[in-house]
Amino acid sequence: MTEATLPAALRVEPLVQGDVTLAGLDDHIRGWTERKPPRAWYVAITITSLTALMGFAAIGYMLYEGIGIIGNSVPVVWGFLIINFVFWVGIGHAGTLISVILYLFRQRWRNAISRIAEATTVFAFVCAMMFPAIHVGRPWFPYWLVPYPNQRGMWVDFRSPLIWDVFAVLTYFTVSLLFWYLGLVPDFATLRATAKSRTRRAVYRLLSWGWVGNARQWVHYEKGYLLLAGMTTVLALSVHSIVSMDFAVSQLPGWHMTIFPPYFVVGAAFSGFAGVVLVFAFVRTVMQLENYVTMRHMDLLNRMVLFLACVMTYAYLMEGFTAWYSADPFVKYIFANYVFGDQWWAGTLTIFLNCVLPQLLWFPKFRRSVPVMVTVSAGVTVGMWMERYTIVILSLHRGYLPSSWGMYLPTRYDFMILFGSIGLFLTLLLLFLRKLPVIAAWEVKPDIVFYQKQSAEAGHA
Amino acid sequence: MPESVFGVVGLFDSADALMAAIPEVRARGFRNLHAYTPYPVHGMDEALDLPKSKLGVLVFLIGSIACVAAFTFEWWTSTRAYPLMTGGKPYNGWPGWVLVMVESTILFSTLTTGIGMLFAFNKLPYFGNPMLGSEAIASVTRDRFALMAASDRGALDVAGATEALRAVGAAALEVVYEPDHARPGVGWWVRTATTIVAASAVAGFGTWWAIRAYPTIKPMVNMEVQPRLDAQRPDAFFANGRGMQRPPDGTVPRASVPILDTVPDDAGKSLMNPLPVTAAVLARGRAQFNLHCAVCHDRLGTGHPWLDSTYQAFPVDLQTGPIRAAADGYLYWVISQGIRTMPGYAADISPDDRWAVVRYIRALQRSQDAPARDLK
Ligand code: HEC
Repeated sequence: MTEATLPAALRVEPLVQGDVTLAGLDDHIRGWTERKPPRAWYVAITITSLTALMGFAAIGYMLYEGIGIIGNSVPVVWGFLIINFVFWVGIGHAGTLISVILYLFRQRWRNAISRIAEATTVFAFVCAMMFPAIHVGRPWFPYWLVPYPNQRGMWVDFRSPLIWDVFAVLTYFTVSLLFWYLGLVPDFATLRATAKSRTRRAVYRLLSWGWVGNARQWVHYEKGYLLLAGMTTVLALSVHSIVSMDFAVSQLPGWHMTIFPPYFVVGAAFSGFAGVVLVFAFVRTVMQLENYVTMRHMDLLNRMVLFLACVMTYAYLMEGFTAWYSADPFVKYIFANYVFGDQWWAGTLTIFLNCVLPQLLWFPKFRRSVPVMVTVSAGVTVGMWMERYTIVILSLHRGYLPSSWGMYLPTRYDFMILFGSIGLFLTLLLLFLRKLPVIAAWEVKPDIVFYQKQSAEAGHA
Repeated sequence: MPESVFGVVGLFDSADALMAAIPEVRARGFRNLHAYTPYPVHGMDEALDLPKSKLGVLVFLIGSIACVAAFTFEWWTSTRAYPLMTGGKPYNGWPGWVLVMVESTILFSTLTTGIGMLFAFNKLPYFGNPMLGSEAIASVTRDRFALMAASDRGALDVAGATEALRAVGAAALEVVYEPDHARPGVGWWVRTATTIVAASAVAGFGTWWAIRAYPTIKPMVNMEVQPRLDAQRPDAFFANGRGMQRPPDGTVPRASVPILDTVPDDAGKSLMNPLPVTAAVLARGRAQFNLHCAVCHDRLGTGHPWLDSTYQAFPVDLQTGPIRAAADGYLYWVISQGIRTMPGYAADISPDDRWAVVRYIRALQRSQDAPARDLK
C-alpha cells in the first residue's frame, strides 16, 4: 500500500508543499541572491550593524581604558563576557545538531533547514570566540592561549580545562565552517550555471572549484559528508561538555558538579533550537520559503524544543537534588540563593522561561502558531542567557569564603558589548540571507522528486 | 588539427530514466560511462560499477596520526619541556590530555575529509573540465540527469554513441570536445606567480610603512600609568619631591651585608668566600645561577649572543681568561652591584647565595677546561 492510498489521518505530511519543481527551487534561491532586497532588509541591517558598531566601540574603549570599565570585580571575576561566551557557544549548537545528528538519524526534514541552521552556528561562533579573546586581561596577547614555541620556553598547561576549551572551540569553529562550505559547493555549481551577471558567475566558478556533479564526485562527496557527520557528532557532544568543565573542574559551590557536562550539552541544544525557530519564524515568510520549510518543519522543531525543555527541567531538578543530597551547607545555600537570594529574579526567570513557558508546545495548535512559537523561543533564548547569568554570577558572588562574598552589577559597557554581539550575529545572518543559497538545494531536490511522484500517484488513484 | 572528443552526452528527465538507460548503453559496448546529476542518486555507484570511496582510509590514517601526535606533544611539553606543578597533579597526568587528543583527532580528520574529498579524490580544482564548457552543464546542476559515453583513451565511436543514447530516450544529444587548453600553460603560472609576489610586496611594504608612519596606540595605559610611587622618578607626595626615600639613618635591612659602591682594589683579600666547596653549596649556586644569570649568560656562562640586539649589550663570556683570573671577591661584588650595562642582584639574591653562585661559576669554568687529571 503506498502513502497515497492510506486514509488521510494516517498519511505523513509531505516535506514540501504547493507547486514545487527542481528548477523552481533553484530559481527561488537564485532570485534572492540577485534581486534587490526589500526595504525591510535595509532597515534591519542598518539597525543591526549600528548595534554591532556600538558593541565594537565599547570593546575599543575597554581595550584603551582597561577591563575596569565593565562590571567584573573580585569576587565576580567572570562577568557578562563569559556569560555571553557560553550563551553564543550554546546557540551555535543547533546547526550541528540539525545538520549532523539528524542526518545520521536520517531525518529528512532537516534538509530544508540545515543550511540556515549551519549558518547560525558559524556566526554564533564568531560572536562566541570574540569573548574569551577580549576577556584575557591583556587582549593583545590572545595567541598565548595556543601552544606555540616561544623564547620564554613556556608551554600551556594541558591539564587545565581552559586549554581544553581553546582546542574545543577552535576545532568546532573550523569544522562547522568546513561543513557549511562543503555543503555549499554543489549549490555554488548550480548558481555558476544560471547566475545572471558575468562577475557573479566567475565568483561562483571559483567557489565551486569546477564541480560538475559527476557520479564519481558524488560517491566521494557522500562518503565525506557521512564521515564529517560522524565526527562532528562527537564534537557537538564534547564542546559544551568542555565548556562546562571550565566551571565544573573548579572548586566553587554550584559549579563543582558531575552533572554539568550533559546538562550544558542539553542547554546548548535547547537554546540552539530555540534560536533556529526564531530565525525561521521570520525567514520562512519574509523569504517565501513556506513551500520548502513547511509548518510541519516548524512543528518538528518545536517538538525538539519541548523535548529539550523537559530534559532541562529534569536537569534542574537533579541539580537541586544533588545540592540537597550533598548536605553541604554552602552548596545548599547557593541553590537557595538562585531563587531566593538578592538576585532572585535570575533563577526564577530561568525556571519560568525554560521549564514552564515551553509547556505550551504540548498543544499541536501552538506548535504551529507563529506568535506562540516566537514568544516561546524568544523566552527560551532569554531564559538560557539568564541561566548562564545564574551559574556564573550567583555562584561566584557566594563562594566558600563568606568574608569575600560580594555583589555584582553590570555596567552600561557590559550591555553595549552584549547587544553588540547580537547585532554582529544578525548582521552576518542578514548578509548571508542576501547573498548565499539559503536552502541546501541538492539535499531538498530528492524530497521534491519524491513528493512529485507521490502526488502523481495520488492523481492516478 | 581537429579537436579531440571528450564524450557524447544526453539528458534525461528523471533519475529513474537515467538509471534504466545505463545497462542498455553499456550493453552496446560503451563501458566508460559518466553520469551527471544535480544530487547524489542512490544506486548510481552500483549501476556504473564505481569503486567504493577510499576516503575513509585516508581519514582514519591522518586521524590516528593526529591522535598520537597530540599525545606525544602533550607528554613532551608536560613532562620534559616545561614540567609545571599545578594543584598537586602529576606531570604525567594523561587523563587530562585526552580531550585535547580527541579534539585534535577530529580537527585533523575533518580537515582531511574536506580537503581530501575535494582536492585529492575529486581532483578539484578542475576548471578546464570539458563538461564545464558544454550545453548540458546548466541542466545537470539544476533539474536534468545526464549520461555520457566518454572517450576511452581518445577512442570513441561518436556516431554509435549518439545512436545508443538516442535509442534509450536521451534528449538534447551533444558531443563534448576537449578544449585546447584543458590545463593552464606556462603563461598562466607566470602571471599567477607575478600577481602573488606583487600583492605580497604591496601588502608587506604597506604594513611596514603604516607601522613606521603611525605610532602604535598604547592600550590600557592605566596599567602602566598608575597613581603610585615609582623608583627613580620625581613625585610630589614627599616633601623632598622624590619617589624614593632613604631609609632612616642607621637602619640596615635584614640579612644585608653592606658593600662598597665601587669595586675595592683588594677585592681578593677584603671579600673572601665564606662558603666551603661542597655539593650542597654548588647545588645552591646552580639553582641561583640558572634562575638569575642563565637568561643572559646562558647555562654554561658563555653568554647569549642574541641578547646583543634586544638588550643592546653583550653579556660577558664567564669562561674567558679575565673572569677566570678575577678574584672571588670581585665576582661577588659584580653580582651585588652590577657592572656597566649589567644590573646588580643584591636585592634578589642573598649574600650567601651570591657566594654560592661564585662557587658555581668556578665549577662551570673548571667543567669547560678540565685538566687531564680531573678525568681520573
Ligand atoms: C640582564 C642580563 C644579565 C644578567 C641577568 C646577568 N648578567 Fe652578568 N653581565 C651582563 C652584561 C650585559 C655584562 C657585560 C657588561 C658590560 O660589559 O657592559 C655582564 C657581565 C658580567 C660579568 C663580567 C664583569 C666584568 O668584569 O666584565 C660577570 C662576572 C657577570 N656578569 C656575572 C653575572 C652573574 C653571576 C649573574 C647572576 C647573578 C649575572 N651576571 C646576571 C648581563 C647580565
